[in-house]
Amino acid sequence: MRSALYLSLAVSLGGPGAIRVAHADDQAPAPLRQRRATAAEIFAGPFRSPRLFAMPVADVVGAYQLSLSGDASLLQEPGILTAAGVAAIGFGDVAQIEYRHTSAVGIGDIEAPIPAVGVQLQAPFRERPWVPAVAIAFRLGVPRRETIADQPVDESVTDLYLVTRLRLRGPLTGVTLHTGARVSSAKIVRPGLDAAGTAKRLMVLPTFGLDLAASDSARAIAEIGLAPQFRFDPAVDAAPQVDYGLLGRVGVRWAALPAVVLDASIGYQLEVARGQPADGLESFVQWDIRVGGEVFVPWGAIACRLTGGFCESRE
Amino acid sequence: MSMNVPKLLIAGAVALTAGVATAQPLPVPIPLPTPPPDGTPPPTDGTPPPTDGTTPTDAPPPVDQPPPPVDQPPPLGAPPPIESITEVPASEPPPPPIDLPELLLAPSGAMLPAGVIYSRSGVDTSGGLSSDMRFGLGDVAEFGVAVTDLIRGREASGLTPRRLAPFYTATFRMGLAEDRLFRHQPALALGFRKSFEYEADNHRARIAELHLAASGHVGTRTTVHLNGSFWDASVETGDEGAVLLHDQGLGRQFRVGGGVAVRAVEDADILIDYAWMPEFCFTCSAPNRTRLRPILSWGVRYDLASWAQLQSGVRVPDIGDANLLDAQIFGQLTLINRSIERVVDRQRRR
Repeated sequence: MRSALYLSLAVSLGGPGAIRVAHADDQAPAPLRQRRATAAEIFAGPFRSPRLFAMPVADVVGAYQLSLSGDASLLQEPGILTAAGVAAIGFGDVAQIEYRHTSAVGIGDIEAPIPAVGVQLQAPFRERPWVPAVAIAFRLGVPRRETIADQPVDESVTDLYLVTRLRLRGPLTGVTLHTGARVSSAKIVRPGLDAAGTAKRLMVLPTFGLDLAASDSARAIAEIGLAPQFRFDPAVDAAPQVDYGLLGRVGVRWAALPAVVLDASIGYQLEVARGQPADGLESFVQWDIRVGGEVFVPWGAIACRLTGGFCESRE
Repeated sequence: MSMNVPKLLIAGAVALTAGVATAQPLPVPIPLPTPPPDGTPPPTDGTPPPTDGTTPTDAPPPVDQPPPPVDQPPPLGAPPPIESITEVPASEPPPPPIDLPELLLAPSGAMLPAGVIYSRSGVDTSGGLSSDMRFGLGDVAEFGVAVTDLIRGREASGLTPRRLAPFYTATFRMGLAEDRLFRHQPALALGFRKSFEYEADNHRARIAELHLAASGHVGTRTTVHLNGSFWDASVETGDEGAVLLHDQGLGRQFRVGGGVAVRAVEDADILIDYAWMPEFCFTCSAPNRTRLRPILSWGVRYDLASWAQLQSGVRVPDIGDANLLDAQIFGQLTLINRSIERVVDRQRRR
């Protein structure tokens, strides 16, 4: 994992300056919402992604735009395709409403997706050198049922994120730092049992991300953070528990087209509290490969082109 | 009916010819230069020859002649100006050849260009089938899925190993192109490969590999490849717990491999590589449940076309035991599709 981070840094240092597609400058224009705009102009962007891989960033989907993204892994759980996705719609360049599968570590030592709806707000400050952008995100967890040794359990996670984004300058132009804290309320319940069958915990979980321009259309990304981890083994303890788990990913996001971003990454999870001794950095069989993508739909510009609605007023 | 077939063929040929003909630009009448009366050869640039015996460079500019008409619309049906025909943009130069992400077995430091789809399929004399497909992401990463026939397992230490196939894997690599950071910097790739779970005969097995590969050109014809790999594996038999390779220590996980490619002739390379693969022993003690075995391969890669290569050679899976009797002769076909790369480049240039 350490060498992966070093190589990511090297990839970045070898690349050109900032790129415009995946994370455009705040002052960049939005897709044209004009009646005579061509399809090429409408989909030329720029578009802003509100996430790294799993970590939200201090950007929101632009106004009159929709972001559809998802990723999947066939390796995380043998024989099962695990997938996660986000649909987000932007409002006024400062807010977005989203439906997503958030990340948590499941009982089977896997990163289990849990459905959630959320709102993300970006502080409407003009970007200045060495002043970080700030956003706050709220994700309401929806219970997800899992069956362990014929015993059903319901898991839910509700998160409040505070994230910042700082674009470095000078010789480090093209490097963006993302930091944040995730205040997470995690709950696991065995249906039909009393309080002994319920575990609930409020956790403060730091997250950190690094975003590097690797080429004129690709970014190398690393993110690491703590996440709630559910533990339940009826053969050992009838009471479920909520614990800490560590999630990390290193990979690349490539804007094949301004509106189409493909990503691939390797991920690692490590138990940091009462973890099994066998689990360590050298335990590669617990790593997984995820492949995903994000598609931006400038629905406002499309509607303007087709119907004349939602057009820019200055036209 | 038989009478109509020739007529239809003739009519079709005429229509096709007419269609092709109408798609062509009309012929442009090019005035032929009039030979001068003194018998000297006419100039080749189309300018009229001087009549006073001087060379064209000596001729003063005409002063009494009226200026040529300008901005007059061409008559209807006239061919377009010849300049507009000759301004057709030249066809795009062919993209540079691709450095492949692997030799015969060993990974290289090269990365597929963005949008390039690479596939390699092979067969060997032991009946094994393998296939590998990868996709380049942004010139700095690639993702792929593969099925390999090189992983073997044996029930006990004294028995002959058998092939565990199909063994599916996925690969993600990211890296730096050669000379990117500084001159003579080799191409670097950090790759991770992990298998899906293989299950058969009450056994379950998984492998994973993390490698750092470097490739550099030495001279104009030779490329040297070196890699270091960390391996991990999980083996389960029946209801017993998983036996993990990483529990046996780093010394059993780390291996060094590499190879050399030499461009022997204009369209063929000679390749030698040394790679490692895990071999399972399902009833052995935990330290011997998974062992890494070296594989020596050599062969030739022949460029059939810019999008296809043929590879053939010899593979010795038991080179660690100096066992040449189980050597395999293999053939592989590599196909490279650059359609998506072209589409992306075209969209990006707009």
